[in-house]
Amino acid sequence: MKRDNLVKQIADYIIIHKERYYRLAYSYVRNVDDALDVVQDSIYKALSSVDSLKDPDHINPWFYRIVINCSLDLLRKQKKVVTVDDEFLKNCNLKVVDKYTDIDLHRALDSLPENCRSIIILRYFEDMKLDEIAEILNENISTIKSRLYKSLEALEIKMEA
Amino acid sequence: MKNNNIEQLKKEYMDIPIPEELDLVVENALKNSMIYTKKRKNRYYKTSVTAAAALMAFTVLINTSPVFAETLSAVPIMKNVIKVLTFREYIVKENTYNAEMKVPSIEGLNNKTLESSLNKKYIEENKKLYEEFLANMESLKKNNSGQLGVNSGYVVKTDTDTILSIGRYVVNTVGSSSTTFKYDTIDKKNEVLISLPSLFKDESYINIISDNIKKQMVEQYEADKNKFYWVLGIEQKSTIKPFEKISKDQNFYINTENKLVISFNKYDVAPGYMGIVEFTIPTEIISNILVSTEYIK
Repeated sequence: MKRDNLVKQIADYIIIHKERYYRLAYSYVRNVDDALDVVQDSIYKALSSVDSLKDPDHINPWFYRIVINCSLDLLRKQKKVVTVDDEFLKNCNLKVVDKYTDIDLHRALDSLPENCRSIIILRYFEDMKLDEIAEILNENISTIKSRLYKSLEALEIKMEA
Repeated sequence: MKNNNIEQLKKEYMDIPIPEELDLVVENALKNSMIYTKKRKNRYYKTSVTAAAALMAFTVLINTSPVFAETLSAVPIMKNVIKVLTFREYIVKENTYNAEMKVPSIEGLNNKTLESSLNKKYIEENKKLYEEFLANMESLKKNNSGQLGVNSGYVVKTDTDTILSIGRYVVNTVGSSSTTFKYDTIDKKNEVLISLPSLFKDESYINIISDNIKKQMVEQYEADKNKFYWVLGIEQKSTIKPFEKISKDQNFYINTENKLVISFNKYDVAPGYMGIVEFTIPTEIISNILVSTEYIK
């Protein structure tokens, strides 16, 4: 069946490029466990909404978009404040926390808004064409271009300072 | 200067270490979602007998309007039509909000009390799920944000001459996803519902089975470091309480080889990437306390 084929095609694609998807997720959520969660959720989401893939030739941008959305969702969720009672806090070993690597790249990229960050990653790290980026981020190409130049300017200043 | 920066940034990006678990996570996620998509396909196969669209409208009507359903069963010719519908479903598709719920329905049991009590339970479970979904969707809509997905359905785990095990699953997607499974096992000959305590002479099964599961967890981890469980005997990095013992009415089913299988939901005893975990209990260790060897051999 056509749908079966498509699902298989998507699965193959994910298996081949899993490391790229993981890196992309990691560049957003910045820790191993969360990045793995994002990859997992993206797969669930992708395969449960195969119908939203309009053109089978566009699996890659389609899945990139899902990964980015899942990453942003997770970040958004983490921003929410969770209240816990004292008892719980006492029982927590506060020394055990997820390890976040802190290097210049992250600091420089961090200072960019999310939509600009995605563009830099996709354009320079994943070597994508501007029109592909436009498709992934659901923006028109000139918006992407102007954001890209703005981000580069911002980055240059940040890196030199 | 600019290019240098970008090159350096790229190098750092490409140097992001890939954890060993990635393979397993991807593999499991693909495997699990394949099961669900397959199930969905079957639905269309079954319904394609009649015009699918008409049937869909039909189902929604039956689900939403009890009056309509009753009217149908009152008309003699239509009575059979309702019997053909071995499922009921709720579908919501609105931008980022998706719900697909499929309700199993058991038919053909002579023990009508059991049949209707099970079917009623399935319908109520899904109705509750559906109402919760609608409520959540409304509140998210007010904030003009969010993504919400619910997907529920069922799998027939075992269908032999004596045993019928049905698993119902619910996949909740709110940012990340969670999956829960619930099982019912029916003795087809005597037409009774089998509960976990009813299989054993006394409550010693809780400890015997728990100990075996803990042993299996450690063994699996020793063999493959990716198979991580929250259990004593495996070095823990988090403060999550380790698994102690199964509950009296732990989720279980009996597989086609007549073995008892204990099932845990996602996050119950292991990190999310492990998904739903199941343990097959060797019959030797429980044979002494089994009431009979009719179901489990």
